[in-house]
Amino acid sequence: MSSSAVSLYLDPQIRDWVLFPITLVMILVGVLRHYVVVLLQSPPKKQPRAAVREQRALVRSQILRATSSNSPVPPSFYLSISHHLSDAYEAGTYLKDGPPKPGSDGAPAAPPNPMTDPAAMDGMMAGMKTQMVMMVPQMVIMGWINFFFQGFVLIKLPFPLTLGFKSMLQRGIETPDMDVRWVSSLSWYFLNFFGLNGLYRLLLGGDNSADSSQAMMASPFAAAGAAQPGQPQDFNKLFKAEKEHLAFAEGLYSWVGDGVEDRVLSRYGEAP
Amino acid sequence: MSLPSALQTLANYRTHNTRASQDVLETGVEALKANAVVKMGDDAWAFLEQLTLAAIDCGRLDIADECLEELAKTFPGSTRVNVLTGIRMEASESPEIVLKFYDDQLQEDSSNAAIWKRRISVLRRTGKTEKCVEELTTYLDTFYNDLEGWVELADIYSFCNQYTFALQALSHCLLLAPQNPFYALQFAETAFTANDLPLALKMFLVVVDMCEQDLSTPTEAKESVPSGISVRAWYGVKLCCRRALGRSATSITSQSNTALPETKKLKKLDELATERVLTAYSASARGAEGKGVVMAWMGSNDY
Repeated sequence: MSSSAVSLYLDPQIRDWVLFPITLVMILVGVLRHYVVVLLQSPPKKQPRAAVREQRALVRSQILRATSSNSPVPPSFYLSISHHLSDAYEAGTYLKDGPPKPGSDGAPAAPPNPMTDPAAMDGMMAGMKTQMVMMVPQMVIMGWINFFFQGFVLIKLPFPLTLGFKSMLQRGIETPDMDVRWVSSLSWYFLNFFGLNGLYRLLLGGDNSADSSQAMMASPFAAAGAAQPGQPQDFNKLFKAEKEHLAFAEGLYSWVGDGVEDRVLSRYGEAP
Repeated sequence: MSLPSALQTLANYRTHNTRASQDVLETGVEALKANAVVKMGDDAWAFLEQLTLAAIDCGRLDIADECLEELAKTFPGSTRVNVLTGIRMEASESPEIVLKFYDDQLQEDSSNAAIWKRRISVLRRTGKTEKCVEELTTYLDTFYNDLEGWVELADIYSFCNQYTFALQALSHCLLLAPQNPFYALQFAETAFTANDLPLALKMFLVVVDMCEQDLSTPTEAKESVPSGISVRAWYGVKLCCRRALGRSATSITSQSNTALPETKKLKKLDELATERVLTAYSASARGAEGKGVVMAWMGSNDY
């Protein structure tokens, strides 16, 4: 049986000239990629005042609503703030480009297209650039392994595995009978690809950009969205929705000062 | 003091935002002489910033300039260093030049909150209150959740006897920090000054209610001694009740349309407030003299 007789001998030169170089190259490329990404990152863009104001306008009503069922603010003040906010949302005072033109009402404005907004475009380009840095070296390394080490068996795992792991560990070697414990060169590449994150974290710190397996999962567009949160949002629509919330919160409103004298008196046992 | 412990003290001041300028300056200069900047690594920059501010506080502009030069060399074009430069300029230059500097900075980055706030403070300091209020409201319109800004605005309005506006500004403070009784107390006192007696009474009671949450049973409450902010709040309750009881109901106006509690409750509150304030004074070590004055005030009818 194959388990009693060792069926395969590996040349130690394979270890020295294939296994170690692949591992080393992958580690070094990861480190290099980390520094390239750091170099490529553009500093966060400064936003003009109007844009900051637009982004933060929603927070105002959220703060007001957060305490509305037991509000610290007396009724007249609450109502004036609430009405002021809902009027401003209705009129679009907080919009970056000023209130919408009176002529264009009726027809809802199209949501801003991220392709036409240069600021959003920049964010997307940054995401694409990072993505390119992630992808290109991986493709090169894979091509290199496929070209020179096609069909190489690199190591034997020291533990037995079931047949299910065959496609994972012996990619590039089409033999039905070989023991699953033998690992092919292409599979070794994939094992490194997904497994080196821990080493990078040790070498480069927690939030390094060397790990490529995570970048594979994110699309360039998702990266652009994360880089500039809320950029392509239609604030006008959000404001209109917030107006409804405000009206709702106004219905729930009660002042913390209502009946506070009874509470204080009853705490001292003097309730009438 | 050894160098590590000195640096530890300074780091403590930084984390707690303590403004012990004289102490920071003395320790900092020692550390500077011992060439600590090299040893501190990235902490050095925060230390230099701290030392600059302390040196400006104490009028040692030469040390401030030294630190600032170091920082400007390391971080050219940093907004944080620019703010420091502005503060340094405020110490020696005329307000016009400083305002010009801040204007230039704002032109470059119109959403730079730190520079903007410095600019507003210079405006207030130089007595341009109108311009200052205008700027501050625009600032708060952009950065709504800047609590300090609202407190400052309320302060400016109170200073100009615009109590209604001050109350409006303070109501935003209450919204931003509903857990902080000091803002509620300030609100109550401002309402009292604005002659809105029912509102003031309610807010003083809210402060009392907030500060004495932990008293569960009436006996426990009776035995407790008011301290700190609640003494002041009880004083306020007493003042409001006495005024409200001393006048006819029709002469009491409330801009905010707050209803006054019934007379029966008012009397009870008045008694309770008297008892509470007296408890606070008899238990304290401030002596009989203070208590005598308070007793006399409680007994008198003038307010």
